[in-house]
Amino acid sequence: MAAVTTGDDRSGYDLTRETWRSILTGMDFDRQWKRILHDGVYEGARGKSLQVEIQSGNLTTVLDKKPFPTDAATLNSMEIVYQVSNSVYDGRFANNGWLQELPDPVTKLTWDNAVVMSHRTAQELGVKNEDLVTLQHQGRTLRLPVWILPGQADYSVAVELGYGRDAVGRIGNGVGANLYAIRRSTAPGFDIGASIRPTGETYPLACTQDHHGLDVEKLARESIRDRLPIIIREATLEEYRENGEFVHEIVESPPKVSMWKEIKYDERPQWGMTIDLNVCTGCNACTIACQSENNIPVVGKEEVRLGREMHWMRLDRYYSGDPDDPEMVHQPISCQQCEMAPCEQVCPVAATTHTEDGLNGMTYNRCIGTRYCANNCPYKVRRFNFYNYAKGWPEIVQMARNPDVTVRFRGVMEKCTYCVQRIALAKIAAKKENREIRDGEVVSACQQTCPTDAIVFGDILDPNSKIFKVKQQNRKYELLEELNIRPRTSFLAKLRNPNPALSKRQNPKD
Amino acid sequence: MSSTRTDSKLFGLLVEFETPAALLKAAEKVRDAGYKKFDCHSPFPIHGMDQAMGMKRSNLGYLIAIFTIIGAAAGLGLQYWVHSIEYPHIISGKPLFAWQAYIVVMFAMFVLFGAGAAVFGMLHINRLPRLHHPVFFSDRFSKVTTDGFFISLEAADPQFDLQKTEAFLREIGGAYIERLEEK
Amino acid sequence: MSKIVEMTGDTKPVAIPEKQPLILGNQTFKSVTDKISGIVEGKTPKEWYLAFAVAFFGLLLLLGSIGFLVWDGVGIWGLNNPVGWGWAIVNFVFWVGIGHAGTLISAILFLFRQKWRTSINRFAEAMTIFAVICALLFPGIHIGRIWLLYYFFPVPNQMGVWPNFRSPLLWDFFAVGTYFTVSLLFWYTGMIPDLATFRDRAKTRIRKIIFGIMSLGWRGGNRQWQHYELAYLVLAGLSTPLVLSVHSVVSTDFATSLVPGWHSTIFPPYFVSGAIFSGFAMVMTLAIIARRFYGLEHFITHQHLDKMAKVMLLTGSIVGYSYATEFFIAWYSGSEYESFTFINRAFGPYAWAYWIMITCNVVVPQFFWSGKLRNNIAFLFVASILVNVGMWFERFVIVVTSLSRDYLPSSWDYYSPTLWDIMTFIGSFGLFFTFFLLFLRFLPMISMSEIKGILPQANPHHKDSHE
Repeated sequence: MAAVTTGDDRSGYDLTRETWRSILTGMDFDRQWKRILHDGVYEGARGKSLQVEIQSGNLTTVLDKKPFPTDAATLNSMEIVYQVSNSVYDGRFANNGWLQELPDPVTKLTWDNAVVMSHRTAQELGVKNEDLVTLQHQGRTLRLPVWILPGQADYSVAVELGYGRDAVGRIGNGVGANLYAIRRSTAPGFDIGASIRPTGETYPLACTQDHHGLDVEKLARESIRDRLPIIIREATLEEYRENGEFVHEIVESPPKVSMWKEIKYDERPQWGMTIDLNVCTGCNACTIACQSENNIPVVGKEEVRLGREMHWMRLDRYYSGDPDDPEMVHQPISCQQCEMAPCEQVCPVAATTHTEDGLNGMTYNRCIGTRYCANNCPYKVRRFNFYNYAKGWPEIVQMARNPDVTVRFRGVMEKCTYCVQRIALAKIAAKKENREIRDGEVVSACQQTCPTDAIVFGDILDPNSKIFKVKQQNRKYELLEELNIRPRTSFLAKLRNPNPALSKRQNPKD
Repeated sequence: MSSTRTDSKLFGLLVEFETPAALLKAAEKVRDAGYKKFDCHSPFPIHGMDQAMGMKRSNLGYLIAIFTIIGAAAGLGLQYWVHSIEYPHIISGKPLFAWQAYIVVMFAMFVLFGAGAAVFGMLHINRLPRLHHPVFFSDRFSKVTTDGFFISLEAADPQFDLQKTEAFLREIGGAYIERLEEK
Repeated sequence: MSKIVEMTGDTKPVAIPEKQPLILGNQTFKSVTDKISGIVEGKTPKEWYLAFAVAFFGLLLLLGSIGFLVWDGVGIWGLNNPVGWGWAIVNFVFWVGIGHAGTLISAILFLFRQKWRTSINRFAEAMTIFAVICALLFPGIHIGRIWLLYYFFPVPNQMGVWPNFRSPLLWDFFAVGTYFTVSLLFWYTGMIPDLATFRDRAKTRIRKIIFGIMSLGWRGGNRQWQHYELAYLVLAGLSTPLVLSVHSVVSTDFATSLVPGWHSTIFPPYFVSGAIFSGFAMVMTLAIIARRFYGLEHFITHQHLDKMAKVMLLTGSIVGYSYATEFFIAWYSGSEYESFTFINRAFGPYAWAYWIMITCNVVVPQFFWSGKLRNNIAFLFVASILVNVGMWFERFVIVVTSLSRDYLPSSWDYYSPTLWDIMTFIGSFGLFFTFFLLFLRFLPMISMSEIKGILPQANPHHKDSHE
């Protein structure tokens, strides 16, 4: 086009370099050019940081006018809150299968958006999860399914933007409903005056947690309430200051003795991990990092709906307290690499065995798929290839796969192995240089990506390693340790530090 | 089939009796007369017949016992060899020689070898399968699996004398006597 | 022995005298042979063809389902992440359990000198073999990569790898494999004299050759009987611990795991009694059909059915007791996970399955206390079918409810079967009945030599004994 209009027939590459020549004014243009191509970023373009200051006086003035009256929303004139999707953002990533299948951190929905509302709102509308409703706002209507969320404000519905695109590509086309069609440019964040009418139809949603109405079944709800303090150990800062050892007093279990002579893992390195629940925000980055690193397939909505999502790293979300005003916690779970792994002894073909450095290893080409290991895994972190999910990957996707990791065929079990391929690379490098692996040399994909450094990984026998030190903390506990399976992954208990004025947890017994 | 072909050789005599009781009594008499190479055929095993025929106890039991022990040892040996020598792996943090877990397979092998020895040992001692036998030349003998009770007395017995033995069998109550030939 | 004359009418005996003859109708050795061989030698009844057509259709259904399974993957079943074992394993345990009655009747009752077993042992053993074939099918096809099934076998291979003998699945392979082999040997050994009967009665050359080969040249000589009887006794002796071990081993698939609801030490006896319970129910169902259809009322008498009902009453009560014990221990353990599993079974999303199980397995057998009902053929028939329904649901409850809600609530999910699950299950009945109908048609369904052995005139001291 440029050649036709301007007569300039230089290639695009040359033109780009021409432009950059004026920006990169340093000594060696080619060197700098290669550098920024390699890094993918030009340091010189970094924005300048500004000093900002909040003038609280103005804020008070605005708030005093009560811009958000609490009783403004009613059943017939509901508040509608637009959010960009946690997965596909404003829709620009709608054709990305990884992101479409990434569960929403709160609703745990994949492959769809829904109109999210509170229990009370749903009750008054006479709708339940997966009921298709007509959302009416400003004379425009949109049909989308209902999802009930504990803690959502009554008469306020939340909807995610970024779905319902119809010309984005083979993955994203027609996924979900397009909320841009209903949103007014004058009220892009939230608005009032929406109404909802049930259609009597249902629409299947693919959710990765709380299947089949767990949140309404009393029996299950009570049991979750009882076991939650064991699974996710948390305290307020006050409580922690009073009793630093609280995590170890939650579970009473008989002495954990084996009936046989246990194998000692005393040869370095011995790999281990900690996940700090205190800093985990539930952002899902680890899930995607893991998916990318380990060639984990996308299985599609139907399969997720059947409960067959493949994520090796998942984020469990639990509510606690009052269902209408709950607290929420996230817990990242992947294979805990138990030293006495229950999955190993049940495999009839020894496809999952322990390595000498303490990994719960998988021999994919030995696996015949009895699924016994998955049944016997108390964390349910094992993932089974029910079909040949790698079938039909476009060539470009195939080329994007990690060459260090096997692509698993159907009928094979798979799971996290602490990024064993990265460990192997570090081992080889260390061996070549005739030294031991340095602390921090092996970084697992989830650890690398975690924005809050919640994940620490390393050799637990190295007294100078970070993991060794972190594991000394008294907040450390192992999930389901009472089963005497000795997980290598530990969690650090969550501490909350609520503002006493706002705290609902005045009485911790509640 | 009781033909009179000249090239045929006498195998022995086949005598029929009416009832199990008659057979049992006859067997005692044949035994007392000192015959060794004879057999009593019946559609079902008759209680007390072993004694009546003067037979020793079956030694099949020893064979089975030996095989059960071989089976169990092979089971244990296989598991020890696989897990401790040939293919050692750390599995669930348990010792390589996890004998508790090996008992089931040992027991299965014990039973399998024992059962195999019982059946195939029995067939071997009974010289079976043998689809061809002189007694089958007798049409009458086909009753043996329904309601026929027979004694077959072999000519190879040192006491055997065609005339005398025939007379003896008739004397002890043989209702029907037939000469059996080989081929 | 009492006189047999008055006992020939077969509808009235309520109070069963101590020494009532087991075989009715003044049978002679010849009449026994004629009756039982006649079934095989006569013309094929039209009803048989009809039944065979239905069974064979079921078999085709099974083959079709397996074909698609191999083609597409186990994803065609309703399995999901927490519930890795569904109907396939339920069916496996169900069929293995059915098989147990055959061995129990042929081996344990033999050792206990329970002569009433002779009328039913042959087809109970046949039932065992066919049920175990159905059972072995399921672990074979339920694995993800069926074509690599041979990885199970401890055979030297080019990869130099070996199976893991610590796995209960490998124990299963050995236990059920041995069970099948031994049952087959036992069945065949028992059949040799009867096959010789067929050989000797054969009218056509082809039958002569086939049964001639199959009977291995059996001559009925006492020198053969001696070793034969010992071999049979030893087989019974070996089969007895084997049959008790097989379902115990199957139960270790569950008991050695750490899944709440599976991890339980009472599983072996509980499974074994459940297996005998369901197996006897199946024998009862089949016996009632066969005696009616082939007119075997003199051979499989009310007395036999009554005794089987009593065995079912006993084992059914053990099963009911086990349910109660499980509940008690779950509560007594103080473990949140354990107690929830059991409450969830009874009142959770699978409560419907649980209460079907309780009704069929605990309530129905209690009716067998009534002698009147034990003699009511129609009731026995319905009850025996209900018991098997219940026992299938027992395995469903154990396998599915435990897996669907275990330790971490985040992974909980509900399992529902697909059409393929259902078709495969129905198809396995097709396989079973195809084999069973072929057996009824071509092989002696009642052991003639053993029946003759328990007739009064078989006793050499019969005539002159103290009467």
